[in-house]
Amino acid sequence: MTTTETKPATKTATRARPRLRADSATWRGRLGYAALILVLGYLIVVPLYKLQSLAFSDGAAGYEAQYGRPDIGETLRTTFALALGSLVIAMVLGTILAFATSRLPRRMGFLRIVPLLPIVMPSVANIVGWAFLLSPGPGYLNALLRHLPWWSGSDTGPINVYSTTWIIIITGFGLTSFVYLFVSAGMQNIGSEHLEAAEISGSSTIGVFFKVVLPLLRPSLVYGGGVALLLGLGQFTGPLLLGQNEGVKVLTTEMYRRVSESPTNFAAAAAAGSPLVIFGLLVIFAQRYLLGNQTRFVTHGGKSFAPTHGRSAWAAVVVAVYGLVALVLPLIGLIIVSLSPYWSADLSWDLFTLDNYRALFDTPGIVESVVTSVVTSLAAVAICVPLGLGVAQLIVRRRDLPILRLLGDVITALPLGIPAVIFGVGFLLTYTQGPFILYGTKTIIVLVYVVLMVPFATRMQLTALVSMGNTYQEASAVSGAGPLETAFRVTLPMLKPAVLSSVALMFILLTHEFAASIMVRSATTQVMGTLLYDHWTNGSYPLVGAMAILMSVVTGAGVVIAMMIGGRNVLDNL
Amino acid sequence: MAEKFRVEGLNKSYGSNVIVDDLNLEMDEGEFLVLLGPSGCGKTTTLRCLAGLETPESGLIDFKGRAVFHSDRRINVPAHKRDIGMVFQSYALWPNMTVRKNIAYPLKVRKMRDAIDKGRVEEAAEMVHCGHLLDRYPAQLSGGQQQRIAVARGLAARPDLVLFDEPLSNLDARLRDQVRTEIHRLHESLGFGAVFVTHDQSEAFALGDRLAIMRAGKMEQVDTPQRVFDNPGTEYVAEFIGMSNRLELHRSAQGWRTKSGVDLDLRRDVPDVEGVVARIWPDDVELYRDADSVPTGMLALKAELLSSEFGGRHYDVVVAAGPEEFRLRANSALHGAWLRQAEEGEPVVIALRPETMQIYPLGAATPVVAGAA
Repeated sequence: MTTTETKPATKTATRARPRLRADSATWRGRLGYAALILVLGYLIVVPLYKLQSLAFSDGAAGYEAQYGRPDIGETLRTTFALALGSLVIAMVLGTILAFATSRLPRRMGFLRIVPLLPIVMPSVANIVGWAFLLSPGPGYLNALLRHLPWWSGSDTGPINVYSTTWIIIITGFGLTSFVYLFVSAGMQNIGSEHLEAAEISGSSTIGVFFKVVLPLLRPSLVYGGGVALLLGLGQFTGPLLLGQNEGVKVLTTEMYRRVSESPTNFAAAAAAGSPLVIFGLLVIFAQRYLLGNQTRFVTHGGKSFAPTHGRSAWAAVVVAVYGLVALVLPLIGLIIVSLSPYWSADLSWDLFTLDNYRALFDTPGIVESVVTSVVTSLAAVAICVPLGLGVAQLIVRRRDLPILRLLGDVITALPLGIPAVIFGVGFLLTYTQGPFILYGTKTIIVLVYVVLMVPFATRMQLTALVSMGNTYQEASAVSGAGPLETAFRVTLPMLKPAVLSSVALMFILLTHEFAASIMVRSATTQVMGTLLYDHWTNGSYPLVGAMAILMSVVTGAGVVIAMMIGGRNVLDNL
Repeated sequence: MAEKFRVEGLNKSYGSNVIVDDLNLEMDEGEFLVLLGPSGCGKTTTLRCLAGLETPESGLIDFKGRAVFHSDRRINVPAHKRDIGMVFQSYALWPNMTVRKNIAYPLKVRKMRDAIDKGRVEEAAEMVHCGHLLDRYPAQLSGGQQQRIAVARGLAARPDLVLFDEPLSNLDARLRDQVRTEIHRLHESLGFGAVFVTHDQSEAFALGDRLAIMRAGKMEQVDTPQRVFDNPGTEYVAEFIGMSNRLELHRSAQGWRTKSGVDLDLRRDVPDVEGVVARIWPDDVELYRDADSVPTGMLALKAELLSSEFGGRHYDVVVAAGPEEFRLRANSALHGAWLRQAEEGEPVVIALRPETMQIYPLGAATPVVAGAA
């Protein structure tokens, strides 16, 4: 209605300034988000695209090479058996643990941390620890079991950790903590009135569990189960370290074999990873479709799941037994081997020595690998936090940019659905050729770590942003603070607990990282896990034991520092 | 002209849902304007468009000669460059900052260091009687204190325009009156321009230099509280400000006739329409026990008692006169004795004075939105 209005020239001139400023600010915002999505898209999507285009090139020669093999049926069967088997174990154990930790006696409250501790222990360390215990020949636990009358008289067994069955069991144990995370978060959303009502109506603890808790947990179980299934399909460390002895193959180890054999066959490796990519994409899109708008799922208030009755000793026993089996036992295996001059079933206490620990510092590359691990992890975390905040901000606050929002949402979810091995291979392929040749540098490790962690950084800050609401940021804007100033003075300080939790989690996961690292490492640029693997394949077991302990200590130190900065509940926010 | 805040042809919708519909508004520098209306009428959205927190589809927003939004010229000054203050319904004090830091924030981010050095923060806290709370955190304060601090923060940088988004509705009744009085006093002494959103007509009457009553994204009436009160522009406004009694009248041989068939003389000129609606304040309806006691000159309507609630000096009484219900206030001294024992359905008589009625044409297309009672 004011289009026909004519203004004196001088007035137009004075008003032209705010227009320029305003428009450029709006466009700066949009361009900023577009650039963010472009960078993430390049990092995350390009490697996947390159792999597929290579697999399909030359008349899909990659697919032919991979799926024309006679043993491919066996490999696929093992892959799915591993995924489903470990899923079942993890779901059952994770749910029982979540219920048990909610019912710990008051004095035993500190045991709540136990189900999370296996996350702190690197999976390579854990698996190597189990191998030391359950290897059919020199495994300490096997040797112990052979003292029992019905297993005596044999040199090997009764348990073979290198068999498919035991790889599945050990993988399932490792996934339990992740299922526990989802389920216990879901349990916290069940009002304690529901349980009290059931108890008052005469249900026993077991009855409450099956009739009330399990049905109410269904959404968390479905979600946690989906994540565990993806993780199970992408499992790499266990099958690689344990499966080689007896030729147990899964798709991820096939990818590794294709990339490490000579000549390198990227096309076949890419083809081997395809089922995992497709499955991951299906799960991501199904989730987006089922969950829709994230903000609908944020709830506040209400009494949380904190039953005052029904706390009992059995809960403490369950949690303690899990801690013993999942954490203490493999640690014992590692400690014994790391203190021995060689690995053998016959323990001789008087030979115990600290030589292996001294060797850590004398063996070339080990100290360097620790430094590389810590530096690359910290760098990746430092990059991920602002990236994650940016994407979270885009998804939560910028309804006016629907396409960028959707892209941000989907792209940052990809690394959660697609196994790390695939990103490792994709990065190796992408960055050994132009325009960016990064192979052999720390940069490529940092970049792949950023990709792996972006989902965590985004999701955790997104949840916190949603529950923070809009008003605090709006109040800052109307006070005269620009977007960056608001981010640094209001948003980040208010998100501090969530940011610190995500930093702790990302640091833990990255110092353990193995699956992607083994693809992008080079002989001169190693991280702790990859160097440990080299020594494992060389058979220097006592040194491997010491390295595994060292890895756990480094991660543990990171967690302690995070707790010192962010308070004790840093891990509670996971 | 340059000293005014102007809104012209403002439009804002969410999807197909039109929230602000070609809205025009003008206010003087230092004026206290109240946007009044039921929930969903677009008042908060209008306020947020003024703040720059929402982007309208089209229109013009001009702050004293500086266009902060102009769709044709593609101007959209972001919120942080509009030099305003704002007070939110949920207070929105940042929990990680002390009261002092909260109040100092608008000064700090606008690089007004000298104002901080000159004690503006303490002064602002003192204005709302919270000088002793400067080193506390918001979580340690009561709701009333938090909202006072939020007011101090909104005023600290002395913006020309302060926006209030239902700032009193999270407070309980007693506190609401206290904080309302403080806001009024602050406006008198500081003379900032204010746009105050509320759905409470008593807040609006108490605070506003002018009221702007909104309906479905448009301005229904913009005028001083006195004139709105004396002469509500439309039936919607009359109902919203509390003239809850509605009497439908149609032309008859004798003048006008109610739905229940009683004739009356409106004693004034009515435009050439077939039917009208009279709006009447509850205070202007008188209660009698029989028609003979009704003074001459008043319209007597037979009714039956529906309910009566004790309210101290008065009773809130609801009666049904034919198809229409009336709310009225009956003096406890006059009527308390029998109302206490009265049963539902008891026959009564209500009396209305034609001079106190507001008359509006009976329009088919004027659905009346339920307002606050």
